[in-house]
Amino acid sequence: MKRILILLLITFFAALGFSNAVTEEATLTFEEPVLITSGGQSPGALQMMVLAKMSGIKYEFIKDVEAATDNVVPFNTLIIVVGASGKGLGAAGIDVDTEIERVVELCKIARGLEKKIIISQIEGATRRGESSDRIADAVVEYADYLLIKDDANEDGKFTTIAKEKEIPIRLFDNTSDVKDILKELFLE
Amino acid sequence: MRKAIFLIISIVIIASFSFSAVTSQTVASSLGMVAAANPYAAEVGAEILEKGGNAIDAAIAVSFALGVVEPYASGLGGEGYAVVTLANGEKFAVDFKSMAPQAATYEKLEELGTSISGVRYTPKGALVPGIPAGIQMMLENGASMSLAELIQPAIDLARNGFTVNETFASVTSDNYEKLLENAPEFLKDMLLWEAGDTFVNEELAKTLELIKENGIDCFYHGQIADAIVDYMEKNDGFITKADMENYVPYLREPVHGTYRGYDVYAPGPPVSGPQLIAILNVLENFNLSAMGPFDPLAIHIIQQTLVLEDVDRRYYISDPDYYDLPVNGFMSKDYARLRAMVIDLNEALDPDSYWDYAGEAAPFEEGKSYEEVLIEKNKETAGVVAEINESPSTSHFSIVDKYGNAVAWTQTLSSFFGTGSYINGFFMNNEIGNFASSYRAWDIINLEPGMRPRTTICPTIIQKDGKVKYVIGTPGGGRIISTITELIVDLIDFGMPVDEAVKMPKFVGYTFYSNLRMEKGMPDNTVKALEALGHEVKLYDYPDLYFGGPNIISVEDSGLMIGMGSIRRNGAASAPEK
Repeated sequence: MKRILILLLITFFAALGFSNAVTEEATLTFEEPVLITSGGQSPGALQMMVLAKMSGIKYEFIKDVEAATDNVVPFNTLIIVVGASGKGLGAAGIDVDTEIERVVELCKIARGLEKKIIISQIEGATRRGESSDRIADAVVEYADYLLIKDDANEDGKFTTIAKEKEIPIRLFDNTSDVKDILKELFLE
Repeated sequence: MRKAIFLIISIVIIASFSFSAVTSQTVASSLGMVAAANPYAAEVGAEILEKGGNAIDAAIAVSFALGVVEPYASGLGGEGYAVVTLANGEKFAVDFKSMAPQAATYEKLEELGTSISGVRYTPKGALVPGIPAGIQMMLENGASMSLAELIQPAIDLARNGFTVNETFASVTSDNYEKLLENAPEFLKDMLLWEAGDTFVNEELAKTLELIKENGIDCFYHGQIADAIVDYMEKNDGFITKADMENYVPYLREPVHGTYRGYDVYAPGPPVSGPQLIAILNVLENFNLSAMGPFDPLAIHIIQQTLVLEDVDRRYYISDPDYYDLPVNGFMSKDYARLRAMVIDLNEALDPDSYWDYAGEAAPFEEGKSYEEVLIEKNKETAGVVAEINESPSTSHFSIVDKYGNAVAWTQTLSSFFGTGSYINGFFMNNEIGNFASSYRAWDIINLEPGMRPRTTICPTIIQKDGKVKYVIGTPGGGRIISTITELIVDLIDFGMPVDEAVKMPKFVGYTFYSNLRMEKGMPDNTVKALEALGHEVKLYDYPDLYFGGPNIISVEDSGLMIGMGSIRRNGAASAPEK
C-alpha cells in the first residue's frame, strides 16, 4: 500500500512539474490590437471572439479574413483558432485545402510584418480529426505561442510539437479559462 | 426483479436507475418499451409505464421530456404527428402540424422586401406551434394519467438538470452563431455546452409548471400565448394572439397499406405516410428477399423507387384542407405496378430527367386497374419544384405497452433550434421553409394563411395479424422516407433483428440528390456495381446523423419487445422493471 502511495505521489509531482514546464512561458506578453480568425471555420473562433470581448482586449474578429497584407497591418497579434467544420467550410464555400492555403498565407504575411501569432485549439477533443489536424500542422510552425484546450492534447500532439519546435504552450481545462489567459497575455 | 427483463443486448447502461427502468441502446422486455432519441426521455416513458400508465400516457411524458433534453430538435414551439394503434383494434392519428399565421403571405413578404428563405431563421419563420395541442388531444383520447403526473418528469429534468451528451454539444456547436445572436441565455455564459456539463433550464421548468397548473389552454389562450405574441410583436414576427387562439389539432385516421402480408399504418397528408405506402407497393413487385441487403440490384431497385415516389410526393401530398389530391390513387397497388415498370434494372435514371418520370395517380383514384390505364396511357410531365433544404433535425419515439397499445410519434422544430427565437425556455419552429419558396400556380405547397406545411415525417406502426409488430420512425429531413423504407425492407424482406436493421448502412433516393448518398460500410463490389449501373455514389462516414436517427421497437410472437435507440444520435431504449 505504502509503495502504491509513494508511486502515486511521484507521479503527481512529476505531472505537476510537467504542467509547470508547459505553462511557465505564459509570462510572455502580446500586444493589442488582435485579429482573430478561424482556421477551419468551426465555431471555436467565434468562441474566442466572445472570450476576447469578455477579457476586455482590443480585437477584431473576421472569421475568414482574406490573406492580404492590408488586412494584417492594423494588428499587432494574430490569433488563429484551428478546428475544421464541414458545415462551416461548406457555408464559406471552400474546402479544407483552400482553407489551409489561406491561413498559411496569413501566417506568412504576419511573420513578414513581424506580428506575433498565437495558434489556439479551443474546442478540445471533439474538434480533433484528420482535417483539423492538417490545419493545425500547417500553421503551427509559425506560432509564437500555443493556447490549447487540455483534452485536445490527450495524445500529446501539441506538447510534442511545442517541445520539438520550442514554442511556448499554455494548456487550459475549461474554455472559460481563456478569458483570464487573454487578460494575462495582453493586459498584464 | 430483473428476471422480468429477458434480454439486455447491450451491456452499457446509459442512465441512472433513479426511475428503476432499464435503459440502454438496445433493450428487450415483455413489460413495455420506449425507444427515443435521448436516454433521459426514454427512461421517463418507461417510468410512466412502470407506474401503470399506458402507451399514450408514456408518449405524452416523453414528448414533454424530449422538449427539455433535446431543446434543439423539438419542444413546445414545435409540431408533429402521431399514429396510435390500440389493443382493442382502434386506430387513430393526431395531426399537430404547425399552421401558417394569417399575416404570412407571399404578398406580405414581397411588401417587406423579403422572401421565405429570407425569413426562415427569423421570428417570421415561425408558424403556430402544434405540440401542446397535440398533447391535449392525446390526453383526451386514451390517456389514463393526469397532465400533472405526465408533465412532472419534464419539470424535474428542466429544474434539476441533466448531463449534456455528445449530440447536444455537437448540435449546439453547429448552431453557435444562431444562438449567440438569438438566444445567448441558452448558452453556458455565452460559450458552448460541452458533453458532461449539467444543463439546467429553470425558465422552461417554470413554463411547464404554468401548463401543469393552468392546463394546456394557457399555451394558446393565456400567459404563454401572451409571451409568444409579445415576443413576435417586439421582433417583427407574424404570429398574433388570434393565430394562437385559432390553432386546432386534428384527430385523423391513419392511412393504411399492406406490405407482404403486414399492415402498415402511417400518417396522412400533409406528411409522408402515403409516400411510404406507395414505395412499399412498388417494392412488393420485386423479390427482394431473393437478393439480400448488400445486393446492388436490391439497392438499385429501392433507390430508384424512392426517387420515383419522391417525385410523386411533390404532386400528391399537401394540406388536405387546401388541396384535393388523389392520395388513394397514389397509394393503390395498381398505380404501383405502373411505377414499378418505370424502373430500368440495367441502368439508373438520369438525375437530370427525374421530373420526366412524374406519375399520374388520378385515374387510380377512380378505381381503374393498371391494365386499363396502361391501355389508355397518358403520360404527363410536370414542372420543376424548387429544392427545400431539409436538415437532420426532428425527433421520433416509439412506444409499446404491455397491453399491446402502440404509439409512433414524431415531433420537430424543422431546423435544429428552429428560428432561434427563444421564448420562456423553448425554441420556436421555422416550418415556413417547408412552403414553396415563391408562389407557383401549379404547385401544391404555396403558402396560405392557416395552411400546414408538407413535410417528410412518417411515424409508422406495422401490424401482423392484428398485433403490433414494429413501431418505426426517424428524423432526417429528406432522408426520412429512405431510412424508414430500408428499415422495413431489412426487417421484413431480409428478416433482420432490429439492432442489425438500425445498424445497416443507409442510403438515399431523393429527387434533389443527383448522386446516390450512402453511408460507408457496404461491400466494395456493391458500390462498384452500383456505379456500373450508372449511379454516382457519394459515401458518408458511418454512422452519420445525416441519415436520421431511428428509434424503433419490434414485438416478437412471444410478446417480447425489443427496443433500439438510434446509434446515430445517442438514442436509447428503456423498459419498466415491473
